[in-house]
Amino acid sequence: MLDAIRTKVEQSERLSFEEGVFLFRHPDVVAVGLLANQVRERLHGDRAYFNRNMRIEVTNVCVASCLFCSFARLEEGSPGAHTMKLEEAWGELEARMDDPPGEVHIVNGLHPGLPFSYYEDLLRGFKRIKPDVHMKCFTAVEIHFFAQHYGMSHREVLERLRAAGLDSLPGGGAEIFHPEVRARISHDKATADEYLEVHRVAHALGVRTNSTMLYGHIETFDHRVDHLLRLRALQDETSGMQAFIPLAFHPDGNEMRNLPAPTAIDALRTVAVSRLLLDNVPHIKAYWVSMTPEVAQIALRFGADDVDGTIVHETIYRAAGSRSPSGLTVDSLVRLIQEAGRIPVERDTLYNVVREHPRASLPEAALKVRDRNARRHLEVLS
Amino acid sequence: MSALIDQAIRQAGLDDVLSARRSGPVTAQHVERLRACDLLVLGALADRVRAQEVGDLVSIHTDAPPEAEPGVLVLPGSGAELTGLALLREVAMARATGPRAGRIRVDWTRCGLELAQIALAFGANELVGRIASKRGLPLLTGEKLGVGKKSRLEDAEVVKRRELEGFVRRAGRTPWFAEETP
Repeated sequence: MLDAIRTKVEQSERLSFEEGVFLFRHPDVVAVGLLANQVRERLHGDRAYFNRNMRIEVTNVCVASCLFCSFARLEEGSPGAHTMKLEEAWGELEARMDDPPGEVHIVNGLHPGLPFSYYEDLLRGFKRIKPDVHMKCFTAVEIHFFAQHYGMSHREVLERLRAAGLDSLPGGGAEIFHPEVRARISHDKATADEYLEVHRVAHALGVRTNSTMLYGHIETFDHRVDHLLRLRALQDETSGMQAFIPLAFHPDGNEMRNLPAPTAIDALRTVAVSRLLLDNVPHIKAYWVSMTPEVAQIALRFGADDVDGTIVHETIYRAAGSRSPSGLTVDSLVRLIQEAGRIPVERDTLYNVVREHPRASLPEAALKVRDRNARRHLEVLS
Repeated sequence: MSALIDQAIRQAGLDDVLSARRSGPVTAQHVERLRACDLLVLGALADRVRAQEVGDLVSIHTDAPPEAEPGVLVLPGSGAELTGLALLREVAMARATGPRAGRIRVDWTRCGLELAQIALAFGANELVGRIASKRGLPLLTGEKLGVGKKSRLEDAEVVKRRELEGFVRRAGRTPWFAEETP
């Protein structure tokens, strides 16, 4: 079947549900990676994207009780619960205005006690500080919660937030769409249909979005493929999705801590199969926060074309025991991409090119070290 | 093995490397071509050589002395500052150009378990590292670890071994502990 899939991939034909499951099950991850890399290079050549962004989580108070979450503290006043004052949130950007990010990425808990104006003021404040900053804020799950909580339609919520400065939506909150899994791990927030509906409405308003999948917990490969194909169907309808980001489940400090974390091989395989199945989504992101910078680098040869951005201060994966740093500098992202043999391209949130960096060439000294090492390795072995 | 890999190896002009592995020497010219080829093609070739010459078993050494045994290549070498990709390339080159059935061991304390696991798909067949706590400290004799939702206490050594075993199995290989539980 792999060879039939190869023929389809070479002819840019769409892969089926069964073929997706087959690729997830295939023991030879390098073969699957080779196929995905073909598609990746057809779409993007050697370019690999990143951006200058910062993440802010303004509140971890949340009415939902997702089993995989180590970030949320359910009520205001519980130990570790924190909600930023607006000035505090804005201060995070103000403190970085000497080298300002192009994008502010905000994701929060579903806080039941804040007025809707808090979010509008939040956005306006950031735009006051830096009028051209791109506000990528609030997952579809948050938008759905706002609609329910404040008695508005999805469209009204999005229109009001957009008027206040919202530019695009991040992809979080998708988890696993299939009800067999969703009912068990996150039963009290937006359903799959509601998540997809928010994206549909956003796209109709010209608001671009990303999408995600939280993998490596209780779901099966069938559930993963089902998830990817639901996204593919929506993208056929709207073309509003820019990037897909597979997110690895991290087990520390949450209600699923009895499960092992997905391994690096699973991360690479998931990137590769996503690239192959999502033939209509332009970008597949190897989110270094979720998979560590080292594995993200390797993923750039397994189908991914983007590593996300500088992030600066991530707290959600941190809470779940991720060993990734909480931020990376532009220089280290450029080096990470160059070392993967790719061309680093700094982009804005909408994938307009900000700056293309040169491809790395191995300096003479590095070649000598490489040759010396190789000779030494052969001596040891024989 | 799939025709997809065959084709990729053929397209990279490397199929004679595979026959050279079976009969006759790998020449300097082969080495040049291997160096220039795409990482995944090199990895696929090394993985095939590994499957042919040493099979699916991965021996795990948790109590090996710091200096390597003769005839065993341990990567990453000391002092080398390697990126993940460079490590994978070194592992694959050693497998593709080294002597038959070479023992290529990856030290997960130097490169992390994630990379060590990926290296298994690029030609490595052994793992080495002392079992340690999450913060890198050596385990105490009889140290316990909370496991599962109810934090049931289990022997930390057993838990860590099970994790390692899982890493190898998830790479599609068969784990074997070289040293018995102390």
